[in-house]
Amino acid sequence: MGGSVAGVVERESIGEAPVEQVDFALIGHQESWRAAADVLAVLRGPEHARLPDDEIKDILPWIPPRVVCHVEVGSILNRKIVRAKARGLYIDSFIPPDCLGAGYVHENIARVRAAAACAIKAGAKIVSLGGFSSILIEGNFDQLPEQYDTVFTTGNTLTVGFIVQGIKKMCALEGRDLSRSTLLIVGATGDVGSGCARCLAPLVKRMLLSARNVDRLRRLIAELESDGVQAEIATDVLGPTFPRNDPQRFSAEADLVICAASLASPSLLLDRIAPDAIICDAGYPKNLSPSAHVPGVKVFFGGLGQVTGGLTFAPDFHGILNRHPFPDVVHGCLLEGMALALDRRFEPFSQGRGFITPERVAEMETIAARHGIYLAPLYNAEGPLALTTSTSTRRISATLHA
Amino acid sequence: MEPLIAVNCSTSECTSLSPTAPIWQDVLAQAITGELLAAMNYTSLSEICDDPDEVADALEHAQIERGHAARFAAEGHKIGVEASNNVDGKHWKRLREAFQGCITERDFIGCLIVQEIMLESFAVASYARVGRVAPGSLGQTFARIAAEEEEHVDHAMAILRAERALDTQRFDDKVHRLHLDVMTTLAKMLAKECKDGHCEVCHGNCVKPSLFEVSLSAAQLRGASLQQYLKTLDMLGIPGEVTLGWVAQLPV
Repeated sequence: MGGSVAGVVERESIGEAPVEQVDFALIGHQESWRAAADVLAVLRGPEHARLPDDEIKDILPWIPPRVVCHVEVGSILNRKIVRAKARGLYIDSFIPPDCLGAGYVHENIARVRAAAACAIKAGAKIVSLGGFSSILIEGNFDQLPEQYDTVFTTGNTLTVGFIVQGIKKMCALEGRDLSRSTLLIVGATGDVGSGCARCLAPLVKRMLLSARNVDRLRRLIAELESDGVQAEIATDVLGPTFPRNDPQRFSAEADLVICAASLASPSLLLDRIAPDAIICDAGYPKNLSPSAHVPGVKVFFGGLGQVTGGLTFAPDFHGILNRHPFPDVVHGCLLEGMALALDRRFEPFSQGRGFITPERVAEMETIAARHGIYLAPLYNAEGPLALTTSTSTRRISATLHA
Repeated sequence: MEPLIAVNCSTSECTSLSPTAPIWQDVLAQAITGELLAAMNYTSLSEICDDPDEVADALEHAQIERGHAARFAAEGHKIGVEASNNVDGKHWKRLREAFQGCITERDFIGCLIVQEIMLESFAVASYARVGRVAPGSLGQTFARIAAEEEEHVDHAMAILRAERALDTQRFDDKVHRLHLDVMTTLAKMLAKECKDGHCEVCHGNCVKPSLFEVSLSAAQLRGASLQQYLKTLDMLGIPGEVTLGWVAQLPV
């Protein structure tokens, strides 16, 4: 496993003026070894053979966080006159895909700090913390290097916005009345989960919350109730016959499910929910196990947006860094920084945990939409979702999980 | 192979390392060879320096590297092995030739890049790894010398940064050219298997498959060396996305 990768940037280096304008930086990591292999294949170029899997697993953990490519995002605003653009960088923290568990938290925080230092050194005005980067730092922005003129956002507000939009769209496609639904949120105490709870509670009939820490869950319920939001702890979590904090057993009444847990790997089985449930998997990595077998349910991947004003990478990582069946689809957590950059609002829009409200989500959605960033077309591991309702047994495949 | 360095050791301390002594013997052989090569390089460097201070500095470095080699040899004696060396071994010879190429061109900056950035990164990282797992004074010596090698770099870094500031693209192109030669050779040395045949330094069969017995591995040593190299290039100011591509294209 890689040794110390927290390359602390020397102060004199930070003081050097960057060569080019950098509006935003995106800090991320690969969610699978397959994705990591594809990134390395692009870096090696067509003239070099792909590295074998064992070599990739030996080499990747040693790579210090660094810029992988330049990113340019276009806006639909004023496109007939001058196409507004924002220029940025994608910085990979090179967290190994199988090292997202609790045992690696200190090293991974060091990696995110080092990646943040790269962003600061490059002069990025705003930085989006993608995937586990935000989970690691969420609520702990003091763990980031001294920030100079760079602001950081977890991107969770826009992520919540796209999750909620996705739920509404799927319900409309499936002819489901949201107001009659029982919504289950897995990972409810996280920033995204609790944000979804605040946004959807007024729209659904009943809301069940699940998380590993029941005490934190109780505090969340109390907080929500003080804001006039009704929610319940998913009873199976508390059931005397089940192990405490067992996220695998939920209510058979839940016909809408949002998976927003910070799981180190796709491991959620969801063996007890409504037979025709709609499931939004918004995890990175995905929450749902590829071997989950839930007859009759409809799964879609949530929290994703699509850039309609143009998105380019240099070197060309199209389809590699954004591995989706539609063009220019990006995770909401990264899009938030890009949208704010296009809007010239260099502010830490999403920070900490528990501050995402429907009003903040609406504001962020407005900013994104102004520049042509919308909810991405819906898809799951098997590809784009059919627009007609299907009641056939569906096995969640590992096609897009690999 | 060149004769063993003459080392004044009053007594040999044989620790209970018999089963792994041959492994340490080869590890030491590589280290001693590297130090001797560095001494040769610094001596050659002194011959092309115009600045008397740089000449003295290079000669002092050469002496220090010979001292490192002697200390490694002494550690070998303590565990009851005679660690050999071979600067004409396949890979070390190629590294020496790369450096000699810079000497021939009187390319002082190129020499610093090869020795201080590339070879020293390998030395610092691999010695540090060995220092963590090797027992007793063997480990302490590797750790100390790793720290000493790391201190060498500061002076060279200042020179190289100043050179880069004069013409960034030209400097980065130079580093890349030397990278293609030197780092390709180092990558082959550090590969998990010696695909090009025996390295001509290990005294018997290749030591790599046995490294696990002393809590080391070729993959770790390679990873640590490449990590140190990338960080050093970062300190020089070469863009991370550029050096990432360089390293990603090295042979495995």
